Amino acid sequence: MTEDTNFHHGDVQGQDPIIRMIDIEKHFGSVIALAGVSFDLKPGECHCLLGDNGAGKSTFIKTMSGVHKPTAGEIIFEDKPMHFEDPRDAIEAGIATVHQHLAMIPLMSVSRNFFMGNEPTRKVAGISFFDKKLADEITMEEMRKMGINLRGPDQAVGTLSGGERQTVAIARAVHFGAKILILDEPTSALGVRQTSNVLATIDKVRSQGVGVVFISHNVRHALAVGDRFTVLNRGKTLGTAKRGEISPEELQDLMAGGQELAQLEGSLGGTV
Amino acid sequence: MAESAQSAVGGDERVKEISPLRQALIRPELGGMVGTVAVFTFFLLFAFDSGMFTSQGVMNWSVVSAQFMIIAVGACLLMIAGEFDLSVGSMIGFAGMMIAIFSVTLSWPVWIAIMVTFVLCVSIGALNGFIVVRTGLPSFIVTLAFLFILRGFTIFLPQTIERKTIIGGIRDVAEGDWLASVFGGKIGQGFFVWLGDNDLIGTFERGTREGQPVVDGIPMLIIWAIALIIFGHVLLTKTKFGNWIFASGGDAEAARNSGVPVNRVKVLMFMFTAFCATVFATCQVMEFGSAGADRGLLKEFEAIIAVVIGGALLTGGYGSVLGAALGALIFGVVQQGLFFAGVESSLFRVFLGVILLGAVILNTYIRRIITGER
Amino acid sequence: MKKIVKGVLMASAVAFAGATGVAAEGEKYILVSHAPDSDSWWNTIKNGIALAGDQMGVEVEYRNPPTGDLADMARIIDQAAASGPNGIITTLADPDILEGPIKAAVDSGIDVIIMNTGTPEKAREVGALMYVGQPEYDAGLAAGQRAKGDGISSFLCVNHYIVQPSSQERCQGFADGLGIELGEQMIDAGQDPAEIKNRVLAYLSANPDTDAVLTLGPTSADPTILALEENGMAGDIYFGTFDLGGEIVKGIKSGVIQWGIDQQPFLQAYLPVVVMTNYHRYGVLPGNNINSGPGFVTADGLEKIEEFAGEYR
Repeated sequence: MTEDTNFHHGDVQGQDPIIRMIDIEKHFGSVIALAGVSFDLKPGECHCLLGDNGAGKSTFIKTMSGVHKPTAGEIIFEDKPMHFEDPRDAIEAGIATVHQHLAMIPLMSVSRNFFMGNEPTRKVAGISFFDKKLADEITMEEMRKMGINLRGPDQAVGTLSGGERQTVAIARAVHFGAKILILDEPTSALGVRQTSNVLATIDKVRSQGVGVVFISHNVRHALAVGDRFTVLNRGKTLGTAKRGEISPEELQDLMAGGQELAQLEGSLGGTV
Repeated sequence: MAESAQSAVGGDERVKEISPLRQALIRPELGGMVGTVAVFTFFLLFAFDSGMFTSQGVMNWSVVSAQFMIIAVGACLLMIAGEFDLSVGSMIGFAGMMIAIFSVTLSWPVWIAIMVTFVLCVSIGALNGFIVVRTGLPSFIVTLAFLFILRGFTIFLPQTIERKTIIGGIRDVAEGDWLASVFGGKIGQGFFVWLGDNDLIGTFERGTREGQPVVDGIPMLIIWAIALIIFGHVLLTKTKFGNWIFASGGDAEAARNSGVPVNRVKVLMFMFTAFCATVFATCQVMEFGSAGADRGLLKEFEAIIAVVIGGALLTGGYGSVLGAALGALIFGVVQQGLFFAGVESSLFRVFLGVILLGAVILNTYIRRIITGER
Repeated sequence: MKKIVKGVLMASAVAFAGATGVAAEGEKYILVSHAPDSDSWWNTIKNGIALAGDQMGVEVEYRNPPTGDLADMARIIDQAAASGPNGIITTLADPDILEGPIKAAVDSGIDVIIMNTGTPEKAREVGALMYVGQPEYDAGLAAGQRAKGDGISSFLCVNHYIVQPSSQERCQGFADGLGIELGEQMIDAGQDPAEIKNRVLAYLSANPDTDAVLTLGPTSADPTILALEENGMAGDIYFGTFDLGGEIVKGIKSGVIQWGIDQQPFLQAYLPVVVMTNYHRYGVLPGNNINSGPGFVTADGLEKIEEFAGEYR
């Protein structure tokens, strides 16, 4: 039993992983982007994927979300081998990705954004219409649950802060039945306060039994919310550690691939 | 702990409550409404006695506005979906010419000529859209190419076939055709005769139509305009597909990530724009009885101007069909009204430019309010 | 919206500055043409009605479809009728389209005179008082016969307004006057001077044994003169043109152009106003149509023409 913190409440129960990625390799021509990465995720777990720029994080999550097909290796989803032909397959299976930027349309209202691509309809005289009333109600309800107070469902997403937008995107993915939520650098562009909003959201989602893959290169953010930590470097896994088994310094070292950073850190006085 | 998260997010004290005025400001139709009121006030003051508000005058600017409305509805939905169609004007010329060639030169029944033309033009619209979504080229360039291609054919075909660039005689072959009357007919004649008999509207003073009312019915052109506006408005605001139109234009990548079939939406909107252009052309050909190679010149810009005056953003993702219709009304009333007010016709462009500039500046301001940019 | 209101007020200020024009207490006549804004030849027409308006003490207005779209022109005629003038002077560029609006204007009690484009027969059909102008086909035919007498057997027709049937009647008439097929000898030159020039150059280098060039007005004649100067055919090739303008007159004087067919547009605008005013004031009306042209203008007797070319000639 690890200690509860602001953004971490209770441990994952001993369940079978919802997805297992075994020895995934991905080659782009002569470039080897992934050279045998293994990774798994349990329901209700936040598994952080750490690594410096170019470590292969993006390629790996794109493989998981069906954008790339692995050159070699196996994906076992809910105990069955899976082959995603395109991102739609992954979305239908319950793997949702919340991208760093391209998630929300600023000019559209929150409720229209929330239901984008999944609009509820209502039939009148045989013609199906967008059920705006229902959409508005659900949106307000879901936003309240996530702790965002909207002026109204018609408020444009453009008026929300970056953190709130991430929260809307996460709430949307969960509402539409995501079992696995891939968050690609959700906190990288946010201020302190907004970051804490997003981390709180991740914690809420986790406690609802959704598996969260949290990609970051910020060790502090990862440690605040993560259950397990996997570090990628040059297309390989450098190891997976459980919460409480690893210190921020060790993680930082792993990410940078060792010694150089240790020296650098010395000169910076541990501020990185 | 949940409370701390709650307080961290909820009730951001830095967001000021939006006043009802600002709330109203971000409705896309507002600019169009105020503009309409302003324009009518202006002409009621300066051109009241000029014949602009007699039955004939009203019919005149209504018909011109309805023409703009028909193409504005298509251009509006397409612009909200994030694309332009510069081939609208050429499409009008082309569609009219096709109807003329099919019905007069080839002597097909008019209803078949109209239907084949619709299929042909909507297919060209689909081709436009297909090229845009497949190549990722700006629709500006692709449809500019079609502006020339279609105009070229519109001059070439009748010249090759008939050795002239205007094909007439459509009225004769369209006589009694059921589909032709859907585009070129008038409705409510009885009502206008009654109005004329009761001296509520003017009647002809001499000639073969002596005693008949000067306005003898509502042209189908106006009915089409109203029908298309209602269709466009409902589609955009009340259906799932409407949400997809907004999404495709707002941010195609984000929309795709959320499972919106962006390409299909865009291609369908190109087809709808072509459909509107063909409706315009068919009404015109059926009313005037001839098709000419110069029909529809610059109409694409007139459509885009009406849409922009009506509050849509050129960058896509925001706008309203009702706004576009009001924009078309303003455009039509100003164009015809300046004449009634006795203004030198070349100054119409000055006026138009001023309105356009005002509308675009206003739109930019609105977008800043919506997106919270500073 | 404030901006729109402001815009409206601003434009109205501009508008009234320009609206003063020729205001008189008397009758009001509106001239509707089919020419796009870009066609400078119509300037003579504008001057013609303005002068007639001044001299007769009547209010005159000139209207045209900005792009030359005849469907728009029909709306302008409707509109002109709705504003209740005493008379409308209009061209009959395409009877199919314009017949309806003109007849409606006539039936609602407005007198109409057809000018410039059209035929006396059509004018009678739509109920106009008369036709003032130059029958296009006949003018082309006369020019063709004249050229045939000068030994011409092939030509290039530089057509800058191909979308209007009257332009083709001119070329067709010329071909018939020569007694040859028109065939591919008419080119669609467009309205842009540089394009016209290059197309003429291209045609003449592809068909070097062309005997003559026929242009249909200043829009096509001016760039054609430049083209001929550039390829050295100026003065050598037989060059005839419809209509007059500043450059054309110079060309006639210098011998580059053999003749110009003057349809005297001034008269087409001036006479209808005079005729109608007198008709409305005193009930007098000439008994026939008025042919304002064709008149062949050659190097002899150019003085007056030179002085007023582009203004009243």
